[in-house]
Amino acid sequence: MRLLMLGFNHRTAPLELREALAFDNDRAAKAIRDLREAYPASECALISTCNRTEFYLARPIHDPPTIEDLRDFVIQQTGVEGDAVRSASIHREQDEAATHLFHVSAGLDSMVLGEPQVLGQVKRAYELADDCEAIGPVLHRLFQGAITASKSVRRKTGIDQGRTSVSSVAVAFAKNIFDNFGDKTVLAIGAGEMVKAALASLRRENPNRLLLINRTHQRAIDLASQLELTGSDHGARAWEDMDGLLVEADIVVSCTGATEPILTADRFRPLLKKRRGRPLFMLDLAVPRDLDPAIGALRNVYLYNLDDLQKAVEETASGRRELVMECEELLKGHIDRCMGEIRHRDVGRLVKQLRQRLHDIAEEEQGRTARKLASLNGQSTEQSIEELLAQHNHRLVNKILHLPLSQLDRSDPDAPMGFYAAALRRLFDLQDQPDMPAEAPPDTSEEDQSSPT
Amino acid sequence: MPEPATSIPLILASIASIAAVVLAVQRVRQPGKDEKPLWPFHALLSLVTLLCLGAFVYRIVVIHKAWVPVQAHVDGLLLIALLLAPAILYVQSRPRLFGLTIFALPLLTLILAWGVCATLWTYRPFSLDSFTPAWMVFHLAATYLGLLGCAIGAAAGAMYLFVQGRLKAKAGLGQVNPMASLETLETLIIRAATLGFVLLTLSLISGLVMVTQSDQATSLGKAWWSSPKVWLAAAAWVVYAILINVRSFSTVRGRRAAWLAIGGLVLVLATYGAVEALDQAQQSEPSDEAHAMEVN
Repeated sequence: MRLLMLGFNHRTAPLELREALAFDNDRAAKAIRDLREAYPASECALISTCNRTEFYLARPIHDPPTIEDLRDFVIQQTGVEGDAVRSASIHREQDEAATHLFHVSAGLDSMVLGEPQVLGQVKRAYELADDCEAIGPVLHRLFQGAITASKSVRRKTGIDQGRTSVSSVAVAFAKNIFDNFGDKTVLAIGAGEMVKAALASLRRENPNRLLLINRTHQRAIDLASQLELTGSDHGARAWEDMDGLLVEADIVVSCTGATEPILTADRFRPLLKKRRGRPLFMLDLAVPRDLDPAIGALRNVYLYNLDDLQKAVEETASGRRELVMECEELLKGHIDRCMGEIRHRDVGRLVKQLRQRLHDIAEEEQGRTARKLASLNGQSTEQSIEELLAQHNHRLVNKILHLPLSQLDRSDPDAPMGFYAAALRRLFDLQDQPDMPAEAPPDTSEEDQSSPT
Repeated sequence: MPEPATSIPLILASIASIAAVVLAVQRVRQPGKDEKPLWPFHALLSLVTLLCLGAFVYRIVVIHKAWVPVQAHVDGLLLIALLLAPAILYVQSRPRLFGLTIFALPLLTLILAWGVCATLWTYRPFSLDSFTPAWMVFHLAATYLGLLGCAIGAAAGAMYLFVQGRLKAKAGLGQVNPMASLETLETLIIRAATLGFVLLTLSLISGLVMVTQSDQATSLGKAWWSSPKVWLAAAAWVVYAILINVRSFSTVRGRRAAWLAIGGLVLVLATYGAVEALDQAQQSEPSDEAHAMEVN
């Protein structure tokens, strides 16, 4: 099997393009099913987060799709222009594709180095692909290996300790505006993983009120209950109360799955007066964005999105290079083991195929020889039977050796003869015998002519 | 009259202040390397404070030989520098307020340079004869302490504009921020403005008392209420009255409050300039008696 990865991430694609290329859960499931339908022999998975959209695919070596086929598939699924997709995409194959997934899972490719949320996102992508029955043995081993390795590397290096999550960087941003959170109201819009992490970080600053709204109110209640946000000052509020809550809030964190902005500048502008000029820190963690960028231009409103976080993180990332190198070194062992197992499994399948093919040849020859024996009509002598068996063996050996030995055709200047010779020595335990004359590759036409009908 | 015992400490203090500005700019421009020791700042500002204190005390004891400390323009500038330098010294010791020194130190340098000019080239004593000394001391103390509050407020306002501009432009977000938060700066503006407002009010009241009690004509003239100094002082008072209530007036919060703090200082300095101009005008006009003698 051949492993492919085609992706777009925060390094290669601007936020606007990432928004267009993002897949929500339903669309991701549909895309996986469509891909599986188009290429039934392939295994596939799709990771779509705020910062990346990546397709992982394992297919038989000589089968489609190619990387170009995958790009066309993305263009067809998202409606994004081909040039934009081509210029912003990255692709990796085999070990490089595996390395990429392992790095993504460990948070080495994240906007915030070592961020823990991405591991959950990789797990969910794996489960979704599994639910769509698009995962086979190769991607099973790859994703499970990546998840296990990520946990191990995080535990050993502590790369996920400290200010490593998007949410903790967001808190640092907020501290540029506010000094004391004790009299502040935090409003979270959405009930996903990012909001949960952001609320957990903000909660450590002991804000006065921590409120939560979501279109599906029950999910907001569930999240509030998970975070133990109880009491009159904390907890879930109705989605319809959003305007009133925006007037009261000092910090707004938004990350919903909405495909259109949930708050536009026109809707927010009248609320500014009611806020009496109080500064408002807004963090839009969603892709596509939840908050109209024009809101950021309003007076005393400080709006940041994921790209702004990325810039901030890149400025501080240089200090953690050594830690990254340590993680990469640890991951390398996991990647080698994982790919070794995948290759070993591939060889196992090849051996099975080879065995089957040899059995087919043997059965065919056995049938032929049996027919010849029957044609002797009881006049068989020991000598004639021996002749038949010798012919049988000769044909069998020739048929078995025909394809491999035809690859050793010395007239082809590009044939990797050294590799073939080494493989023959290794596979058949052969020794060099300089006095033995060389043999030409078998000629199957001769074999066919010599075969009695 | 040029006075070396005043001008030399002022020149040295100006040089020390410029050196402190350079060090502060370097420190803020390299926020990641903030492990540099703070002692050079402390040493330079302590030096400025000591030099100003020495010159100020020298002038009271040796030059004026009187208990009224501020008898000339240069005395006032020395007093402001003497108050501002320790205030900056305090601000430097607060990690997230360090950036404020960038905005306060040039102000200190400007005042010191102004003091050098006032002692070397434009030395002029105040006309204090017509006022009750007790009221005059109260008036001058309130004015100069008030000016200190206004200067701190303006420096905080300038820093607010700088920090806010960077936040809006989303610049340097990943760096360790050596600047205070907007909330802290707004609080500082309001507190400094409150100090300035209270002392400015006392200064206006004492000035009013002095003008109405004086038998002789003052530099403000007979129609003192129409003097530019009074109007400028009243305008500054109004600005600070608004500024201390900035959290109640939604229309002036944020950048506008910062600009008001800077504008307030400009008005106070303009008032100060008006005093000097009026004094100069009064001194250049011959008195009625001298005029009569000349005629005779």
